[in-house]
Amino acid sequence: MSDAAPRRNKEQVVEALHDVAAEMHNKMQRGDPPRMTLPVRSKSNISFDNRLGVFKYGKKKTVRDATSLGSARQLLRTLHITEFIEEMIDNGKSSTLREMYYISEAWGHGKFGTQNESNNLAEDLEIVTKCLREDFKLRPEEDGARIIGNITVEERNRRGDWMRINCRDDVGDSGYGVPYNVESEKLRLVDEDIDFVMAIETGGMFDRLIENGFDEEARCALVHLKGQPARSTRRIMRRISDEWKKPIVVFADCDPWSFRIFASIAYGAIKTAHISEYLATKEATYLGITADDILAYDLPSDDLTKQDTGALEAELSDPRFSSGYWQEQIKLMQEMGKKAEQQSLAKYGLDFVTDTYLPEKLDAIGLGYR
Amino acid sequence: MGEAEEISSKQKQISISEFFEKNKHFLGFDTLQRAVITAVKEAVDNSLDACEEARILPDIRVELHRTKTDELQMTTQDNGPGIPRDAIENVFGKFLLGSRFHAIRQTRGQQGIGITGVVMYSQLTTGSKTHVVSKIKSDSSAVYVDLGIDTKKNKAIKSGEKRDVWVDDKTGEEVSHGLRIRTLMKAKYQKGKKSVYQYLRMTSIVNPHASITLVVRDKEGEIVEEGQWLRTTDKLPRVVEEIKPHPHGIHLGTLQRMMREAQDRRMTSFLNNNFSGVTRRAAKQILEVAEIEETRTPKRIKAEEAQAVVSAFQTVKLLKPPMDCLSPIEDLLIKKGLSKAIDSRFASTVTRNPSVSQGNPFQIEVGLVFGGDIAADGPIEILRFANRVPLMYQQGGCLLTKALESVDWKRYGLDQPGGTGIPKGPAAVLIHLASTNVQFTSEAKEAVSFDETVFDEIRKAMLEVGRGLKNHLKKSSQRKKAKEKFELVNIILPEISRKSSELLDREEPDLAPVITQIMNAVFLEEELSWNKEDKLSMCSITVHNYTARARAYTILAKWPEGPDTAMSYNPTGGRKETNGLWAWRLDTLDPGTSMVLEFGISGLSKGEWNETDIFFRGNGEIIGATKMDENLLEEQRKTEALEAAMEEVRKKENDAMIETLAIKPERVPDASGHAEQAEVLLEEAPPPTGEWRFGMEGDDQ
Repeated sequence: MSDAAPRRNKEQVVEALHDVAAEMHNKMQRGDPPRMTLPVRSKSNISFDNRLGVFKYGKKKTVRDATSLGSARQLLRTLHITEFIEEMIDNGKSSTLREMYYISEAWGHGKFGTQNESNNLAEDLEIVTKCLREDFKLRPEEDGARIIGNITVEERNRRGDWMRINCRDDVGDSGYGVPYNVESEKLRLVDEDIDFVMAIETGGMFDRLIENGFDEEARCALVHLKGQPARSTRRIMRRISDEWKKPIVVFADCDPWSFRIFASIAYGAIKTAHISEYLATKEATYLGITADDILAYDLPSDDLTKQDTGALEAELSDPRFSSGYWQEQIKLMQEMGKKAEQQSLAKYGLDFVTDTYLPEKLDAIGLGYR
Repeated sequence: MGEAEEISSKQKQISISEFFEKNKHFLGFDTLQRAVITAVKEAVDNSLDACEEARILPDIRVELHRTKTDELQMTTQDNGPGIPRDAIENVFGKFLLGSRFHAIRQTRGQQGIGITGVVMYSQLTTGSKTHVVSKIKSDSSAVYVDLGIDTKKNKAIKSGEKRDVWVDDKTGEEVSHGLRIRTLMKAKYQKGKKSVYQYLRMTSIVNPHASITLVVRDKEGEIVEEGQWLRTTDKLPRVVEEIKPHPHGIHLGTLQRMMREAQDRRMTSFLNNNFSGVTRRAAKQILEVAEIEETRTPKRIKAEEAQAVVSAFQTVKLLKPPMDCLSPIEDLLIKKGLSKAIDSRFASTVTRNPSVSQGNPFQIEVGLVFGGDIAADGPIEILRFANRVPLMYQQGGCLLTKALESVDWKRYGLDQPGGTGIPKGPAAVLIHLASTNVQFTSEAKEAVSFDETVFDEIRKAMLEVGRGLKNHLKKSSQRKKAKEKFELVNIILPEISRKSSELLDREEPDLAPVITQIMNAVFLEEELSWNKEDKLSMCSITVHNYTARARAYTILAKWPEGPDTAMSYNPTGGRKETNGLWAWRLDTLDPGTSMVLEFGISGLSKGEWNETDIFFRGNGEIIGATKMDENLLEEQRKTEALEAAMEEVRKKENDAMIETLAIKPERVPDASGHAEQAEVLLEEAPPPTGEWRFGMEGDDQ
C-alpha cells in the first residue's frame, strides 16, 4: 500500500490525451456533436471501495457535448490544454496551474473564465486519462503544510542533492514546509521518534501547541493543515501512516467544514476520488472538537449560519458520513444549532488545551501519554 | 353697507390671510423648498392651460435667482395668448380655490390654489409686489403692472401700470403675445427628487408638445442647475369640450344650488338640459320615481324632494356622459415623452378607453420603460400625473401607487421582494389619470383618493404594460439563446474540429450534419431600423432553417397600423391578417438555408417603432417567433367587429340625442332603442379577459 502512484512515460501520457481528442473527432466524423465522457464528480457518485478502504468514484458517467455554448467551450479548452501539455512534455518544461490560466489568454475562444475553471479541467483530464497532473507537468499553486516534531526526512533540493532535515531541530518556529511533490523521488522518510501525528486545522492552535511544548511532551509530530489540506499534505500523512505505522489524529474546529476536512484526510475528497487510494489515510481518527465536547466542556459557541445548516444537511446524505458516529455528531450539532472553534478552549486559560483537553481526549482513544 | 354686511365682510377679511397662514401646508407653501416648486407649478400650469386653449405650442422659460439666504426671485415667461389688461386683476387677485368645480372638463388648473396664492405668498414673506408683463396679439403694446393683494377686500391692488413695447431679453425681438411674471419670495432651491427640475422634467413627459427651459442661479449669478426639454411633437392636445355634470356624481347640495340658479320652468327640461346622459324619457322616469310632478318649477323644489331626485338618479337607467371632455396624451406621445426624459431600452404604453366612475368620465394611461441607463438596484421610479400635472408628494398614499403595488410584478419579470409593494429593477412607470373630477385625499392635492373603478382600470393598464415587458424579456432571452447557438456553430465548433484534427493529424470532418444536429431548429431574427432617405421604419426578418427537413411557414408580423401609417415598402406582398397584423407565406426553406423578409412603414418618425411581435403558422417550432394562437386571433377579430359596431351605435345615439334636443318627441323611443341595442351587444360579448379592450362596458346599469 505504500507504493507511489503509478507513473506513466511520455508516450503513454500523450496517447491517453489523444484518446480524449479522438473521442471528439470520431463523433464529428459520424455527424454527431463532439463530446467527452467523464465520471460524475459529486457526492452522488462516490462509494466505498472495500478493497482499497477509501471512497472512489462510482460508475455514473456524464457526457459533455457541444450542444450548449458552455460545454462546447469546455471541449475547446480541453483541446488547448492537451496541446499545451504536449508542448511542455516535448520541451521538458513544467508550469503552475496559475501560469496555464494566464497562458490561456492567448487561446482566443478557448480562454478560461476563471482559474477555478482551469483547475477543474486539469482534474477532469487526470480522471479521464488516469494520469496524474505531475505527468502533465502541471504544478499546484496550493500551499503545503508545515510540520514540527521529532522526525527526520531527506528532501532532494533544487541542485539535486539530498538534504537531511530534522523537523524539530533543523527548523524555525514555522516548521518544515512540505513541498508540493512528496513522492519518493523527491522526499524520503528517514527516521522518527514519535508516537503519533496530530493534524491541526488552524494556525493559531498549531502555534499554541508549539509554544506549550506539546510536541515534545506528548511525543508527536504536529501538522498544520491550513484549512482544507492540499494533496501533498494528505499524501505525506498517508506515507507516514504506511511507512512508520504511526496513528494520525485530527484536531479541528467543530463545524461542518471541519468534518469535511477530516473526511478528505480519512476517506478521500470528492474532487480527487480518482486518486483516493494514494491520498487518503483510512486509519486517521477524529480527535475533536466534537459536538459533544461543546456540551461536555461548556465551550463558548456561535450560532450556525445558513451556509452551515445547508452544509450539515448535505453531509447527512454524503456516503462518507454514513457511519453511526458521524450521523450522531451531525444530528447533535443540528439540534444544538451551535458550532465552536478550537481556540474557544482558551476560555479556561492558555494551558487548558495542553494540560487538560488533549490529554483527556488522547487517553480516550488509547494514546494517553501520562 | 349695512352693519351686518360689514361684520361679515370683516370676518372674511381676517379669514383670507389667516386662512392662507393656517393652511400653508395644503396650499403647498409649508416649507421653503416646497414653496418654490408650488410657485413654479402654478405659473407653468396656467401657461400650459392658456396655450392649449389658444392653440399655441407653448415655449416656457423658468428662471430662479437666489437673491439672499432663503430668498428667491422667480421669473416665468410663456408665449401664450397673454391676459387682456382688464382681466389681469381678476386672474391674479382672486382666490379661485374651489370655484372651478362646475366647469366639468379636464384642466390642469383645477388642482391648485392658483397664481393668486403665489402673489399672496410673495407679499406675505417679502412684502414685495409681483411684476406682470402681458401682451395680447391685438394690442400694439404690452401692459406692465405691479400687483399686490388687498387681503381685506380679497382683490388685487394694481400699481405702476404702464404700456410699452415688450422686447424679449433673450432673443432681442419684440414679443407679439405672452406673459411674464416676476416675483420675490422666501424660498430655498433644492436639487433632487423633489425639485423644480424634477417637476419640469415630469411636466415635459406628459406635455410633449411643450418646450420648457429652466435656469437656476446662485447669489453670484452662477448657474447651479439648468434643464431644457424640447417639444417632441407639434400636435397640441385636443380641445376638450365642457360637459354638463352627470347625475351619478351629483350630491344633494349641488343639485339644490343648480335648481336655485336654474332658468328652466319645468323639472323635465331642467333635468334634460342641465345634465349629461339624461334623455327626456329618462327625465320623466326620474321624476316619476321621485314622485315629483313634471311641471314643477326647479326653484320651488324642497330639500326632501331634492333628496328623492338624487336617489332616483341611481335607479333610473341613464346614458353615459360623453367622453370628449377628456384629453389623453396617447400611447405614442407617452413613449416619446418617456424616451426623451429617460434613456431606456424598451417602452410599453397603454391608453385605456375612457370609463366612468360616479358620473365622472376618466381615462387611464400607463407607460413602462425598462433597461438602458436606469439604475437596477433600487425600487422603480413612479411618475404620477393627474390631468397632465405631476404629483410629487405623498406617493405612498396615492391610489395610483396602490394600484401599481397590487400587481404581481414577479410574473412580468420585475423583482418584488415579499411579493407586494413597489417592485425593484431598472424600470420606471408612468401613470396618468385624466378625469373631469380628480378626487384627492386632501386639499394638498398630491395623492388621488381611493375609487374602485379607477383602481381597476389602472390595474388593467398595468397588466397590459406588464405583459409587454414580459414579452420583451422573453424575446431578449430567446435572442440571447439564439446568439449563443450561432456562436457555438459558427466559431467554437469549427475550432474544435480544427484543433482536434491538428492534434491527431487527421482530416477535418464535414460539420454540416453536426450543425444540423446541434441546432435542430428554425431560427428567426428580426431587426427594426430607420431608413433616413425614404423616412421608413424598416423591419427585416431573417429565417434560418437549421433542421434536416425542408420547412414551409407563414410569417406574421405586428405593425402599428393606423390612419397615418401605411405599409409602403413590401416586396414580398402577403396580405392583411387583421388590424395591425400582416401575413406572408414563405417559399419552402431547404435544410441549412436562410431567407430574409423585409418591409417598411411610412408615417412614423425615427424611434417611434422599436418593438414588434412575430408569429408563425406551420409545423415545428421557430426560435424567435410565437406560434399563432388562432383562437386569440379569432377573438381579436370579434372584438374589432364589436368595437366597430359600438362606434356605429354611439354615433346613432348622438344623432338621436341631437334630434331629441331639436324637439322631435316621436324620435325619443328610437334613441333609447339604440341604447338597449348597445347593451344587448355587450352581453353577447365574450367575458373580458383583460387582454382585449372592450371600452366602456357598463358600470352604470
